[in-house]
Amino acid sequence: MYAKKACELVKEFSSSEPGQLAPFNTNLFSQVIEECNFHFHQLQSLLSKIQEGPDSQTKNADHFGALIHHLSLVRNKRCLMAYVHNRAEVIRSLGWMIEPPLPEEIQEKLSSSEKEYSKNQSATIKSYQSEMDLDLAVDMVPPKDPYIKVRVLDDIGSVALSDQIANLARHAILFLRRTDAETYISQGLMEELTD
Amino acid sequence: MATQSDPHASEFSAAELEFLAEDEMIEIVPNMRMETLNLICGDFGPFHPQIATQVPLWLAVALKKRGKCTIRPPEWMSVEKLTQVLEAERDSQKTFQPLPFHYVEISRLLFDHARDDIPDIYMVRSLIEDIKDVRFHKIGTGLEVISQRTAALKLEHLTAMEVNIVRPFVVRALQAFYKLDSPEMIQESDLRANRRFPTANHGPKRQLKR
Amino acid sequence: MESGSGEGSMMDDYESLISTTDAELLKRSWRNEKAAPEILQFELSLVQRSTEQIQLMEETVEESMASGVDPLTVSLYQMDLDRTQFLLRSYIRIRLQKIEKYMAHIHKTTELWNRLSKQEQKYAQRCIEDLKEHFEKSVLSKLPDRYKSSLKQSVISEEDDMVPEPQLDTYVICRAKRSLGAFQLDDSAEENPVSLDAGDPYAIRYKSIKSLVYSGQIDLV
Repeated sequence: MYAKKACELVKEFSSSEPGQLAPFNTNLFSQVIEECNFHFHQLQSLLSKIQEGPDSQTKNADHFGALIHHLSLVRNKRCLMAYVHNRAEVIRSLGWMIEPPLPEEIQEKLSSSEKEYSKNQSATIKSYQSEMDLDLAVDMVPPKDPYIKVRVLDDIGSVALSDQIANLARHAILFLRRTDAETYISQGLMEELTD
Repeated sequence: MATQSDPHASEFSAAELEFLAEDEMIEIVPNMRMETLNLICGDFGPFHPQIATQVPLWLAVALKKRGKCTIRPPEWMSVEKLTQVLEAERDSQKTFQPLPFHYVEISRLLFDHARDDIPDIYMVRSLIEDIKDVRFHKIGTGLEVISQRTAALKLEHLTAMEVNIVRPFVVRALQAFYKLDSPEMIQESDLRANRRFPTANHGPKRQLKR
Repeated sequence: MESGSGEGSMMDDYESLISTTDAELLKRSWRNEKAAPEILQFELSLVQRSTEQIQLMEETVEESMASGVDPLTVSLYQMDLDRTQFLLRSYIRIRLQKIEKYMAHIHKTTELWNRLSKQEQKYAQRCIEDLKEHFEKSVLSKLPDRYKSSLKQSVISEEDDMVPEPQLDTYVICRAKRSLGAFQLDDSAEENPVSLDAGDPYAIRYKSIKSLVYSGQIDLV
């Protein structure tokens, strides 16, 4: 059946988790392209046959045949475009969430053109940001109190933080800027206290 | 592509709803002196010990966390008021009691940060849980009323969190009825042959039906 | 302001009209932009004013820290600043993402194109070029001549039939600040008028209330 592979391609995209990318299916993709060119050759030969002279025997069949090849080609094109378009949408949304360049495990799922596109897109976002003098990569979620209550779990000693010099003794309970505390929390040296 | 609609696109996250709720005004009683705060979101204060004043919830919570005030829970958060609301919610299968648009978020913020300022907190908390449950259940059954093409559906007294929960379902259901209930539906199968993908869906014309 | 009960008196309405702060306006624009399927008018002067207020507050915070104003006050200033910055950045991000999604459609529709700021127009232009290049390399250059357009399926198509457009007849949820009385939905006279009461949410087709969103009479939630 014509355009079956194209359909598979689109199905493959839609069955992946929203926002996730499967590896670019180069093999299937180029098979669909080949099919497009096959339809085009068939279409052309039927068209020239029709133009050469009316063959009353096959006139209708040739017309419908040409139409079918045209429609199959267009369907394949739509599927190819849908595949690329939807993947591009995911790539863009990743670009908003992840500081460029994209990590290796995502990069290796992209086609070469997609890698290029991802780079260009980040550059486009960058140029908007510098024109507006606005950093759009921060504040992705609503802010909370920049200060959090923490308990120190180990003797860290006296440390210069962004806004104060604090003595981080074991068991001490303090209000610290979240940004200051996060490093210690991730190292297991502090815990956040929620009241 | 063109006809793809993302029903989740316009949903607000729980954090975003909380953010919006944090702008609701609430009364606090400071235990310190502080001059008027000229903030972007408005001027608040001056703050004097034992003199009640109105501030946005985020400011109240920040002061409370630092031990600088007590928060006066809003009137609707009393056992008496909530008992009434719960009874009324249970009495009616169809209607909802009016509650503040952000009652879920406000009460959660206060439970998290101002526990000692809420009289009968356990009672209050369980009443609010019950009210939430009764309402959610009613929402579920209430949505069964969508049975035909409806131009506008009034979600009377529904609050922010509830709206957010029903949004994907309501939007899809109304959309589906809108399409199915259109006279063009019948012709559509004829058109399908040369319908192009992706097409912009401009929607079928209205049909007279009530 | 988000008042719980919907019954605002005339007086309240008047008060809220004259006392609406920029912070409030920014929040409304953010919310509407988030919930509307199409791109809305860029709020140029509001964004300018908010940017100035943010700068002023940043200076205040720095000065206060340097001059030893009590740390409590400074942290409250900082929180107010954080909230406004989040709203502004998120507002701009939502718009840029919407532009990305419907770039070709916005570009060819004058009314929509004029809703963008100068910088957004530039952004849209670049997005279109980026995507076009990507389409060409991946698909279009490999297709036969008459099928190479990124906007049309083939040369036979009379109009652009591959351009994603927002669905304006999708349902949205909205709230009116004050009762809007009987409101005629749609362009069609067949529809019974719907009365939009203040405060209560309605699920309604975006298309039929979009003018009320433009004029600020209704908020999307």
